[in-house]
Amino acid sequence: MYSLELRDVYKQYAGGVDPVVALAGVDFAVEPGEFVAVIGPSGSGKSTLLNVCGLLDDPTDGRRLIDGTDVTDLSERERTAARKESIGFVFQDFHLIPTLSAVENVALPTAFDPGDATDRAAALLDRFGLGDRLDHDPTELSGGQKQRVAIARSLINEPDVLLADEPTGNLDTETGEAILGEFERVRADGVAVVAVTHDELVEEYADRVVELTDGVLSGGVRTDGTDDTDGAAEDDAEATEPDSPWLAGDGGEP
Amino acid sequence: MTGRDADGRGFGGSDGFSGSGDSNGSNGSNGSDGSWRPAPSWRPAIAMAARNLRRNRVRTVLAVLGVCIGVLAVATLGIFGNVLALGADDAIGDVGTQIVLSPNADAGIESISDADVAEIRRAVGEPAVVPLYTDGALVSGPTEQTFTTVYGVEEPALAFEAEEGRLPERHRQGAIVGAGVAEDLGVDVGDTVEIEGAQIRIVAVLAETQTFSPVAPDDAVFLPESAFVADGYDQVLVVSESGGEAREAAESIRESVNAREDRVDIFELAALVDEIDEFFDLLGTFLLGLGGISLVVAGVSILNVMLMSTVERRQEIGVMRAVGVRRRDVLRVLLAEAGLIGAAGAVLGTVLTALIVVAFLFATPAETAVVLDPTNGYYLLLALGFGVGVGIVSGAYPAWKAANERPVEALRD
Repeated sequence: MYSLELRDVYKQYAGGVDPVVALAGVDFAVEPGEFVAVIGPSGSGKSTLLNVCGLLDDPTDGRRLIDGTDVTDLSERERTAARKESIGFVFQDFHLIPTLSAVENVALPTAFDPGDATDRAAALLDRFGLGDRLDHDPTELSGGQKQRVAIARSLINEPDVLLADEPTGNLDTETGEAILGEFERVRADGVAVVAVTHDELVEEYADRVVELTDGVLSGGVRTDGTDDTDGAAEDDAEATEPDSPWLAGDGGEP
Repeated sequence: MTGRDADGRGFGGSDGFSGSGDSNGSNGSNGSDGSWRPAPSWRPAIAMAARNLRRNRVRTVLAVLGVCIGVLAVATLGIFGNVLALGADDAIGDVGTQIVLSPNADAGIESISDADVAEIRRAVGEPAVVPLYTDGALVSGPTEQTFTTVYGVEEPALAFEAEEGRLPERHRQGAIVGAGVAEDLGVDVGDTVEIEGAQIRIVAVLAETQTFSPVAPDDAVFLPESAFVADGYDQVLVVSESGGEAREAAESIRESVNAREDRVDIFELAALVDEIDEFFDLLGTFLLGLGGISLVVAGVSILNVMLMSTVERRQEIGVMRAVGVRRRDVLRVLLAEAGLIGAAGAVLGTVLTALIVVAFLFATPAETAVVLDPTNGYYLLLALGFGVGVGIVSGAYPAWKAANERPVEALRD
């Protein structure tokens, strides 16, 4: 079962005379513990892909599954709950809440739940080498430390997928490498990592690099032997073959 | 298709998440131990709101100051109007509730007979009817003497109050002395006064009436009816509970006793008192409205502050939503911010008002009773409630707007 799966996903934005097609029949699947880098030129739909994967945006057409559960048509409230439960976000600008300490930022997703997640948050920070920075404000942390806090925050609810938007974009090479090292540990726990990036370093760490061009994704689904399978939109014949990973994946499910 | 829902893992109602939200909601807003505590679901929101307010202290303090001034204006002007009205009520006193009937000399009627009194009693119903004999006499104390009005009354307790001694149910013997007379003569309960050659013991001294009353009891002496030899009464006092009742009583008398001919002259000021009351009501409302304007301005300033701060924190709110914080909780944080500004301003304004009222009490000859009247507390509470309400109402729109923004839009740079 895939941690995250997009099936023939289209995303259109109503704009001006012609609707803008951001995703044109994207097939995408990530296995637990897999690290996939999504590359592509600006405006190719990378952010849209990440937003659709992360339940921040709904596809115009196609299906979206998280851990085998169809999450295509959820209400706003259900999407929020699903994001909280299954998705972790890491941003280029870290996006920590400035009024909250490191440990409070990590616990932010659970801040409004009954019960205290401080211990869990502290343990996560400790794991990322920030055990002595628990009560520091974000302004007192370096870029690398902030991104580690953000990663810890994304893991507080033990998600299926960690979605990273240019995670190393605001970090120097050395720190970026350290953060990518942290991703290695995250995926070792079975969390799938999808990173949208321009950084070649990220590509080095990734199991798989998929390229998005004008809303068309190549290599979105891993094939058994070969490295790349064209998306269904590009090559219908191949996608409907019996040994296609789609059908194999489906058949394997109980 | 695939076993889409085969593993039964739903994100909506079946997982623990929304369930815990519901249990929060049902916890109610008050601790069961009686002391007020925020509902559990509000506590993290209030804590977060307090920190957000500390982020831009100057702006927060200015918004609080705005509410404080608004509350101060509503409370002080409200209390000011109320004190004026109460003071006026106090000064007008019995004028509004007492009517005085006297025989209509124009119709050749010299006195009010027992039959008339009985008819008046029937006509007015509830209000007490106190017939009076009236005369003037020289009253002598041990050293002083003074010429006063002397009334003959059977049931003085219906219309007057004693300062010293006790007013008898039926006045059979002894003299009841008005406060002014008692002072002039230097006499008290137990002393004797001489009236028309008779030595009469004082059984009660009336409380000083600081107000205008149709029958001025301060400068009068009240004797039993038996002290008078007359065919009928010179006056009848009708004592009502309220101005309205007094007016109804006067109307009833006009329709019964005076139906065929005007047997009695009716002296009543209830209508005038109503006019005066109405004026003070209007004045009070006007003053409250004046204060209300400043509270509205304070509300606008909260609206402005909240709009600015939600626009500044747009990304932050987007992140909260992205990582799984519900709209409801974002709304709570922002409403709590506005509510805290409102509450802080309201409490500050209320305390300041209380201080001003106390200062007013020391600085002016206003009567303590009037200033400390419980109805003034109502204006304090009103202002307090309005302050908090203004905060929440003007915080509602920015909070709703920010909480409902799609995280995708908010996160976009």
